[in-house]
Amino acid sequence: MLSKSLCERVLSAAASTGADYAELFAEKTFDRSVNMVDKKVNAVNDAVIAGASIRVFKGLRSVAASTVDTSEEGLMRCAKRAAEALGEGTAEMEIVLKERLFGDVHPIKIVPGSVPVKEKIDLLKAGYFAALDYDPCIKQATGVLLDIDHNILIANSEGVYTKDRQIRTRMNITAVAEKDGETQSGGCRPGARMGLELFTEQIDPKDVGREAGRQAVVMAGAGYCPAGTYPVVIDNGFGGVIFHEACGHSLEASSVAYGTSQFCDKLGQKIANEKVTAVDDGTIPNAWGSINIDDEGTPSRRNVLIENGILKSYMIDKFGGRKLNMAPTGNARRQSYSYVTTSRMTNTFIEAGTDENDDIIASVDFGLYAKQMGGGSVNPATGSFNFAVNEGYMIRNGKVCEPVRGAALVGTGSEILMKIDMVGKLLECGQGMCGSSSGSIPTNVGQPMIRVSSITVGGR
Amino acid sequence: MRYEEFKTTVIRAAEKAGLKDYELYYVNSESLSVSAFRHEINEFSSATEGGVCFRCLKNGRMGYASTEELTEEEAEELVRKAAENAAALETEEEEFLGEGGLSYQDIETQSSELPPSEAMTQAVLEGQELLYAADPAVVDGSTTEVMSVKETVAIANSRGLDLSHTMAGTVFVTSAVVKQGDEMNDAYEMKAGPLEETDKKEVVEKAVDDALKKMGAEPAPTGAYPVVFAPKAMASLLSTFSSAFSSEAALRGLSRLAGKEGEKIAAETVTILDDPFYPENLFRLPFDAEGTPAYTKAVIEKGTLNTLLYNLKTAARLQKETTGNASKRGYDGAVEIRPFTMVLKGGDISEEELLMQAGNGVYIDSLQGMHAGANPISGDFSLQSAGFMIENGIKTRPVKAFTVAGNFFELLKNIKGLSDEVKMSGYGLSTTAFAAPAVLAEGLSIAGK
Repeated sequence: MLSKSLCERVLSAAASTGADYAELFAEKTFDRSVNMVDKKVNAVNDAVIAGASIRVFKGLRSVAASTVDTSEEGLMRCAKRAAEALGEGTAEMEIVLKERLFGDVHPIKIVPGSVPVKEKIDLLKAGYFAALDYDPCIKQATGVLLDIDHNILIANSEGVYTKDRQIRTRMNITAVAEKDGETQSGGCRPGARMGLELFTEQIDPKDVGREAGRQAVVMAGAGYCPAGTYPVVIDNGFGGVIFHEACGHSLEASSVAYGTSQFCDKLGQKIANEKVTAVDDGTIPNAWGSINIDDEGTPSRRNVLIENGILKSYMIDKFGGRKLNMAPTGNARRQSYSYVTTSRMTNTFIEAGTDENDDIIASVDFGLYAKQMGGGSVNPATGSFNFAVNEGYMIRNGKVCEPVRGAALVGTGSEILMKIDMVGKLLECGQGMCGSSSGSIPTNVGQPMIRVSSITVGGR
Repeated sequence: MRYEEFKTTVIRAAEKAGLKDYELYYVNSESLSVSAFRHEINEFSSATEGGVCFRCLKNGRMGYASTEELTEEEAEELVRKAAENAAALETEEEEFLGEGGLSYQDIETQSSELPPSEAMTQAVLEGQELLYAADPAVVDGSTTEVMSVKETVAIANSRGLDLSHTMAGTVFVTSAVVKQGDEMNDAYEMKAGPLEETDKKEVVEKAVDDALKKMGAEPAPTGAYPVVFAPKAMASLLSTFSSAFSSEAALRGLSRLAGKEGEKIAAETVTILDDPFYPENLFRLPFDAEGTPAYTKAVIEKGTLNTLLYNLKTAARLQKETTGNASKRGYDGAVEIRPFTMVLKGGDISEEELLMQAGNGVYIDSLQGMHAGANPISGDFSLQSAGFMIENGIKTRPVKAFTVAGNFFELLKNIKGLSDEVKMSGYGLSTTAFAAPAVLAEGLSIAGK
């Protein structure tokens, strides 16, 4: 990748019109996938994503320019474009880069790019056919095995020159079940910042397929969830999407710094039930949302966002930090060079609590048990969020009863945080792709089982 | 290396590898965006991106590979990987490449030059002034932004196809944030088209007005009563369930419309067109992703499913003609099927008359969580909504934080009225877009308080 001296020249050119900060981000990513449908491998894709982006700040002004041309001339043209957009003056900034090495806490055993496609197909098939064979009412399945080898370089006018290689692997099996003319789907999508050993040593692909099949079959036999406002128990793992949507996005500097978050100026104040402690931690070894360094070169770290209900920290990138007058927290992320970096989540979860799962279920006379959550979205300004329940069951008299489908949970973040009044002991995380202004990035969501004392459930 | 040179290099490598059938698909996009916050320019960004996808037939199977690095070495890698990927495929479906020598409709483009950055800067700063002047409740966090995108799509293959088209457009966007007491609301509004013709005041005031009108909103009452979807809300519903019109989804057992061509699937008043030349969409292409000439067709005509959407491959499998709806999600995606601009045709009454027809019900102008709360296969949806109550035919108090639930395919049958004003959702800077009028529907469930 780009040499230190080349980066110094490019950064100097970028800062030549009076910038007080200049940054270069370069990337070369190998993106591969194997796809199955109708019992056959129907697509194998290879993509190379390569380019660079240059960003300069002057006070509270940011200019970004990106290019696919990473030759010296291409980079200098890009730097000039950024410099011209920032100002018309001339200035000189001395740039001396020093290579910084950060320990890689995410060991990779089997680099996916080194494995013949045939072996990947065999792994995917194991998962795919386990879904299809799970039950006679499974009529269709789709499967994807993808691996990403994301190589980044960051150099900036603070002297940082650093690189990271982020390898991620994920399998995504979807099963479609048909019962009495009704079709319903189920899915399972485990992933990690890990090589193919994720599916040769840690997770049996057959379990991935069987889980997708199980969900589809359960939901195909389910009736509609009744609409209303009542208690909801949300299981661990991907259930943590509730915190991600209801609260996480509103704690990103990209909304806090613009005054468009319900949690502005609330540091040190109680914003959640005292049972709630929530953390964003990008340092968990091999976790899906982990990063050694963020996309501005700041080392990742564990940030306690909420401690026993008290707001402790936001998630901050450099530009958001300027507006807030706060230091970056290692949360600057982007999908690729063509997006402008902003504050994002890594692995975000509610910490384990003290309640027993059985007690949580037993405490509900009439409510919903959300075993598997789907995705969701939020408007940080109003805090209003929504998400889908992929696999739900009614709870009656403290017991889990019949499965229900079509449920959606809606509410506002500040309200629901206060209503999380029971928190279980077993923390687990689930994998997601989070979409926002800087693109789609891998993030973990997580929590133990929780009870929300009351929430609006959409159904019919 | 520039694309033309890269193209020649790839073709040479393909011929050397003994490939007879191959295609290059190229996208290059240049964009500029300027945003302002608190009366100052906040962010400026200028991006160029794009790449080349190469696909080739080997032993009857189509292999793909793509790259953003246009170098001599990558040209050979691209050909090698695509051929290798073809060899790994198991599908026995027949594959096709488009033929050259066809004729295409002319599309008038306003200008393919991006506006000067000074004009963009001036427009967003003017937008800021207008925002704060519009109402004392407007607070910091209200932003204005101008985005301008120019995109070139080119396809060349071994069958004599050699096409290229450039699209460009500019959009002025504002997000108004208003605060009264402890309550905060926001609303977006935008206008696509040349900056000098954009009435910024109108756009900004509409956003501020929309945000203010939502003050004091409460959940709508739980129950089953008439719903009027605002045009953009209806367009986003159509977008969410549009994959049901794909013949590929039908072939895979993933569409409830499979085998229903010629059947009545919607109310008599429902006509849905797929229009590649819809004027409000600035991103209009004369050809699809296989180079087939684009044309306008009725997907649903007076309630009857006239045709699904086809590409060369699905048309051959189902003994039909392609409808020219081959589409790629990005330059590096596989050839799939998507509409161009899908338009639910308007009726002959005004929105006010439609509300009178509804009598008492709810008007929904915001739907959220489409990717989570909707199942495109079954048609089931349960979506977070906001809007207004309709009382005696008039929009009254604002409502929010409730869900509307139903089934899209049943909704098509239960449409009781359509207004005469059709609006498009999105910026108009995407070849796939959706437009609809306001729609009165029955048979939906509201869950609120």
